[in-house]
Amino acid sequence: MKKDQEYKEIFLAESLENFEEINRLLTQLEKHPSEKNTLHALFRITHTLKGNAAGMGFTGIAELAHVLEDLFGEVRDGNIVMDRPVFEPVFKGVDVLGALINAVRDNADVKYKGIKTKLEVIIRTKGIARSEEGRAAVGEAAPEVMAATEATLAVDGREAEETEETRIAFSDLVQVPVRKLDNLLNLVGELIIEKDRILAQAGNHTRGTNEYARLSRISADLQYSVMDVRMVQVGFLFNKFHRVVRDAAVVENKNVTLKLEGTDTEIDRNVLQVMSDSLIHLIRNSIGHGVESAEERQRLGKPAAGVITLRATGETDSVVIEITDDGKGLDYEKIKRKALSKGLITQDEADRMPVDELGLLIFEPGFSTADQVTAISGRGVGMDVVKKTLDSIGAMIRVDSKPGLGTTVRLTLPSSMAVKSCLLFEMQQDVYAIPLSFTEAVISLYKTNIHKAGGGLIANHLGKNIAVVFLKDVFDQDLEKHIGTNLLQKTFDEIHPEAKLEIVVVTFNNRTVGFVVDKLLQQKEIVEKPLMKPVDRVKFIGGVTILGSGNVCLVLNVPFILQFIFGLYVQGRSTKGITLN
Amino acid sequence: MEAATEQNKTVADGRKAGSFQIIVFKQGNEEYALSIDQIKEVVITPTITRMPQTLPYIKGVANIRGNIIAILDLEEKFNIKRPADQHTGNHYTLVVESEDFKMGVLVREVPNTLTISAADFDESMNIITDVTSESNYVRGIVKVQGRLIILIDIFKVIGQDVMAALRKNTAA
Repeated sequence: MKKDQEYKEIFLAESLENFEEINRLLTQLEKHPSEKNTLHALFRITHTLKGNAAGMGFTGIAELAHVLEDLFGEVRDGNIVMDRPVFEPVFKGVDVLGALINAVRDNADVKYKGIKTKLEVIIRTKGIARSEEGRAAVGEAAPEVMAATEATLAVDGREAEETEETRIAFSDLVQVPVRKLDNLLNLVGELIIEKDRILAQAGNHTRGTNEYARLSRISADLQYSVMDVRMVQVGFLFNKFHRVVRDAAVVENKNVTLKLEGTDTEIDRNVLQVMSDSLIHLIRNSIGHGVESAEERQRLGKPAAGVITLRATGETDSVVIEITDDGKGLDYEKIKRKALSKGLITQDEADRMPVDELGLLIFEPGFSTADQVTAISGRGVGMDVVKKTLDSIGAMIRVDSKPGLGTTVRLTLPSSMAVKSCLLFEMQQDVYAIPLSFTEAVISLYKTNIHKAGGGLIANHLGKNIAVVFLKDVFDQDLEKHIGTNLLQKTFDEIHPEAKLEIVVVTFNNRTVGFVVDKLLQQKEIVEKPLMKPVDRVKFIGGVTILGSGNVCLVLNVPFILQFIFGLYVQGRSTKGITLN
Repeated sequence: MEAATEQNKTVADGRKAGSFQIIVFKQGNEEYALSIDQIKEVVITPTITRMPQTLPYIKGVANIRGNIIAILDLEEKFNIKRPADQHTGNHYTLVVESEDFKMGVLVREVPNTLTISAADFDESMNIITDVTSESNYVRGIVKVQGRLIILIDIFKVIGQDVMAALRKNTAA
């Protein structure tokens, strides 16, 4: 119910804006009747208005806008000359349109049939001037219409008295630049940090923190309200993809329809903005690589038109967007061969790799299984850019595919980039935070549970072997030094044989690593701030936040750290290869 | 700070055309200075959080009035040996700001403001520059009251290294 109300408000705001624009353009057209651009704009706007109204089920507005659109279309095609006798009913029609739009708010009864019929007559008779001459003919052609016009006009005449009084309509919506919202969110973030600081001080006090319960509640409410303001419906973005799909399908000479689901799912506007290009890419990729040509589909007994489904679902802390096609599915053997030839994996790995990891290989740089390069897919650039973009906001990718049935790319996105639930830990007297979306478990192990394997360390967690890394080693590593000399085992060699280690198990895109930390602190909602120059290029750290103590806490960029650690393995392997030769 | 304002007053009387103000601070035994318009404020050094993957002289980041800024140790950057008798630590931070950068420079004593005239300022570059640095961050030498003060452009100091780091990243 609340959603409906919100839709209605948005529609109202947009329509009123359209209405103002129509009025402005119409006045302009009256002064310069030869302006083609004005006419085109009018045509477009009435078309949009019609579409929106029809979508919302406001038939009155839709019908009237439709007639106006037709009329402007005729004028544009030169069938009707816009002269004074035509302008009068058109203005009248627009006024009634405005009244109809306003009626959405108060459910007022606005008569529009009369003016609509009148406009229809103008269209049919190709303008007033000629209609005067051919009145008889028209009368024969549509006597009931003419009669209806007269009758309803008479009725409208009385109604019109009320609507005649020009009032300036105010929308209930305010348009705000995102910049201002960002600023607001920043301020709220600082308020939260300040609140935490006060609470931390009060914690030491005898009176405790009860004193500040109200402060906590209000600031939390404020924070969530501001976050809510920044939420937009994914439909806002999804609806733009109809055109993308159409264009890509035309280029590929394929028949594709787009299906949207869960368009009312809400997501932070900035997340959506960052995402949009990646989504375009993924959709194009589905059309280019997934969906078969119409002939092939018919041969396989599938409907000629392929279907791409964009589905959004909201979860507690995240939004899942799925791009599903009903095409041929991933060819895992081909992916294996390709990855082998590109040297992305070894034969050994290829044999053991589970399918969901194979699926992720398509996001590696330089990877493309299409044998032919087309305009929109197959260049092998793009998918790795998609992955980088998604990594940057901590989105997770999963690829599911069934041969012959299609592929689903599932993206798990944070619903808001501003506030993150994090696990705080201490390492070498500094406090770090790991976003909870990456943490899987917190375990403690003795040194004897951890074993050296290859260039790193492994341990057993719930029956699975996971890599164990001392974050200190990762952070302390000197890029100048030779990489691959058991760097990740350094601290392990130094610690006491009976030492007990606190380990945070993190997972991202099928990679699971246990980070050894000095001390686990607490779980906390933090407001992340970006890094500023000159430390903005630090890749291990995604952002910073300020703790209650006023100290700075670094937020780990888990995707990059994992990429780095596994990159070390790869580098180590390649150096080994060179020395063997 | 009081000393600084006093100095200001004395100079303000006989102010010549083309005079400008600088902030003087000690690094090792040398006196360095920054143009006053590059400096936003002087604060007591807050707790510094170390940052991985940064150049050694970037000591980390700190929270100064809600802004999180990088803290630099110029003594380390310039390879200046700290005198053995001064183990007092870096008590103050000069907050410098430009459109691109905002950062803090560690200093041990309260910096002084000094108004100097253009005549005291020697821009001729008889300074041997580091081969690796492309632009020289030393703007000139100020000679006043028998003191020798090195005026530097803090953003050139950091700018070079950022560019160098960038090159390294693209090469790797």
